[in-house]
Amino acid sequence: MNCGLRIADCGLRTVIITALIILFGFAGNASAMLTAKANHDHITIDFFYHGSTVGVKGLSDPGRDLVIKITSPEGHQVLKQKGKVAGLLWMNVGTLSFEDTPNLYEIWGTKKIEDIVTPAEREKYSLGYAALEKHVVIEPVKTAEDRSKWFGEFVKFKEAQHLYSAGDSRIETTALADGHQEYYIMTQWPYQAAPGDYTVSVYAVKDGKVVEQAESHVKVEQVGMVKTLAAMAKESAAVYGFLSIGIALSAGFGVGLIFRKGGGAH
Amino acid sequence: MYLYLPVALTSINILVPVGLGLAVGLLSGLFGVGGGFLLTPLLIMFGIPSTVAAATDSNQIVAASTSGTYAHWKVGNVDFKMGLYLLIGGFLGGIIGVQAIKLLHAMGNADFVIKMTYVLMLGIVGVYMFIESIQSLRKKKDAAAVDTREQKESPVGRFLASLPLQTRFEKSGVTHSALVPVVLGGFVGILAAIMGVGGGFLMVPVMVYMLRMPMHVVVGTSLFQILFTCIEVTFLQAYTNHSVDFLLAVLLLLGSTVGAQIGTVFGRKLKGEQLKVLLASIVLIVTVKIIFELTMTPALLVSQAGGH
Repeated sequence: MNCGLRIADCGLRTVIITALIILFGFAGNASAMLTAKANHDHITIDFFYHGSTVGVKGLSDPGRDLVIKITSPEGHQVLKQKGKVAGLLWMNVGTLSFEDTPNLYEIWGTKKIEDIVTPAEREKYSLGYAALEKHVVIEPVKTAEDRSKWFGEFVKFKEAQHLYSAGDSRIETTALADGHQEYYIMTQWPYQAAPGDYTVSVYAVKDGKVVEQAESHVKVEQVGMVKTLAAMAKESAAVYGFLSIGIALSAGFGVGLIFRKGGGAH
Repeated sequence: MYLYLPVALTSINILVPVGLGLAVGLLSGLFGVGGGFLLTPLLIMFGIPSTVAAATDSNQIVAASTSGTYAHWKVGNVDFKMGLYLLIGGFLGGIIGVQAIKLLHAMGNADFVIKMTYVLMLGIVGVYMFIESIQSLRKKKDAAAVDTREQKESPVGRFLASLPLQTRFEKSGVTHSALVPVVLGGFVGILAAIMGVGGGFLMVPVMVYMLRMPMHVVVGTSLFQILFTCIEVTFLQAYTNHSVDFLLAVLLLLGSTVGAQIGTVFGRKLKGEQLKVLLASIVLIVTVKIIFELTMTPALLVSQAGGH
């Protein structure tokens, strides 16, 4: 029948299909190659909880440098500020408010982050303390030096609580037979990290720029009696207060009676 | 073995709070102090947030002072009448002290006043108590059997004796105007509220030197008074700040209730002056520690807001 037309039709269809395959094929490579999975994405806190371990692994294009960042949602934190009074005595001289700061911030790279990501990209994705500093709002501070000093003190305080860490380059990568790169890192999850939702972000870096990004999530939740007591302390504060006092009084009398029976006194 | 604390949101080796409780309970039973001025900084050192440390400390003092008061009451060392008057004064003083703190915060120099009050009060009490009790011990050694102190009638003594509402405190063997313990209790209450402590280390010297009570009755009566103060503080902290960690308090009181009993037994084997020298030494060590903290550059220049 209208073969000429059909041939022309078929040719056009082939061209379009080929173009679409090429287009989506590249897009798939650019956005879907990087994968991220936390092996322990639901951490439960019971009475015997003493932190945990979280492994993050996935696939990336071969030869890519990688940055992994774990953060809590950003929020507002107020800390007491120490200073010298009368040029001699160290004491609290006021409070500092830190806006848009995560309570937990941990970051690792396949190499030192400053060596693999440009400053502009670091700032864009808040990669590293220097980038985080530019993003955080600190008040009240008068000068840029002041701001830098108090951000440094804030980081020291968080590091002492095991809630912040940066600069480690211990992501392990393995070249797979199919040409992909597998990456893996095992992290110690600090017991100081409060219950909540945490985001694991993985960035694939090429020539200093982030070319791909993948995310995974870790949920930390109190369970059982820990959850009941924590909720009671907040929601039934009066009952909780009476209970605490009642237990303390009973324990005091109880031990007194035991010692009396045991002949400890008199 | 580690346990997770639901309100402090941290995990702790159970031997730490039980051991600390035992040590502080021992001091409670021996000297009639709550031990908050020792325990709260130690808990903070072990990673407990400062607000939770202070509030939970009050809760465990309820247990330790119940245990200690009970042990002292069994051997007749609690003057309930005197304790009640001091308690009334302490309650009124606490209200005034809390208002004073609000005023200081509004003026912006609260921390300076609190720290200075702490150092001065601890220093003065520690030095005075130390010197006085050493002198008493020497006098006894020299076989000066008569306690001359009791026989001296100072101008202050004459003034106190001239006040109205004179009443006999049988257990303590002293006669005072009812106003004296109320006013002194109020004074300690004001200072305790300003410093954020129970005030046992202030109340004990006040009872010994100003109310002239025998040391062993002082210890029991002080614990009785501390018990009520800490019940009030625990409830307020739980109700308004949600900062009492019940589980941490249980771990602490496991040690402190036993420690208070042991302290009471040891205390009965020591002379009043010996107890005073020991307490004065502890107070002086804490004073020196605070002076070091105030003058040495701290490792961290920021700290959790909300505590002392």
